[in-house]
Amino acid sequence: MDGRRLPGEGGPAAVTWLRHPLLHRAAAIGLGAVFLYASLQKIAQPADFARIVYHYQVIGPSARLGYVPANVLAVALPWTEAVAGLLLIAGVWRREAAAVVSLLLVTFLVAVGSALYRGIDIENCGCFTVEGAGRQAGLWLLVGDAALLAVGIFLAAAPTRPNPMRVETPEGALTAPLGHE
Amino acid sequence: MPLAWRRVIAIPVAGLVLGLAWNAWSGRGLALAGNAFVREGDAIEEIEVQEARARMEKGALVLDARPRDFYDMSHVPGALPLPEDDFDRAFASIEDRLRSHFDIIVYCSGYGCEASHIVARKLAGQRIRAAVLHEGWPAWTDAGYPVKEGPQP
Repeated sequence: MDGRRLPGEGGPAAVTWLRHPLLHRAAAIGLGAVFLYASLQKIAQPADFARIVYHYQVIGPSARLGYVPANVLAVALPWTEAVAGLLLIAGVWRREAAAVVSLLLVTFLVAVGSALYRGIDIENCGCFTVEGAGRQAGLWLLVGDAALLAVGIFLAAAPTRPNPMRVETPEGALTAPLGHE
Repeated sequence: MPLAWRRVIAIPVAGLVLGLAWNAWSGRGLALAGNAFVREGDAIEEIEVQEARARMEKGALVLDARPRDFYDMSHVPGALPLPEDDFDRAFASIEDRLRSHFDIIVYCSGYGCEASHIVARKLAGQRIRAAVLHEGWPAWTDAGYPVKEGPQP
């Protein structure tokens, strides 16, 4: 891609590289695949996932909230993961899907962090599997979620068509090829 | 270029609609107002704290399904420890007493705690019927009922 760089195109090399459309596409497919995969068993076994939601004690059940919010979350969250994951893989509404995934990851970080802070021992974080002892909701989970969050924010914040710059030459307008997918 | 916020909102709304539809029609759904700790096929009775106290006064046996450390800190007076994470050993030591009681109540740490349901299910597997105290230990202390500290029942 460096061979195609036009004179006067700004920014250090790293920024140019980070704006490459192929990098965005690959990152979106990777992130989308993670979320689509994460949704499958939760969709197949909603009651198992609901029990994991209960263990977190973030959205109930409680005397004040009852069971409905936790159950609705257990029903809606996996499908939101699936829809956002599919959109990321397909490259449709990519930035918005990445924003949704980022918001989900922020809520996961808050839920896991608060469970750790309150000393709640969650044997299965409910990340990818909902049966038996899965991955423990611990510090490493926070690290993994934060890494995914970085990818999500990167995809959400970066313009789909980075720097569509036009350069006027005597022969007419030139458009930087980087700007188009 | 700013994000299209309507799309950002549309994605979780689609997730909610698809989720509710799947829950209603897939045959795998859960009762949205129900307690998912009570599984299909369970015959576990959930009782409120006032009823638990009344039954205790008539001689019901109470079991504490929390880890043993919690029991030792404080528990329902007269309750026996039957921790879910050490069920087999604890069960063997109190099996005779369990089989001589007709009214047994299990509790654990409250809403987020599944141990009382698991213990009640394991007892049912031993043909011992036990009710679960709804909301568990927090319900007991919130009601202002007495508690006992230390490892003795």
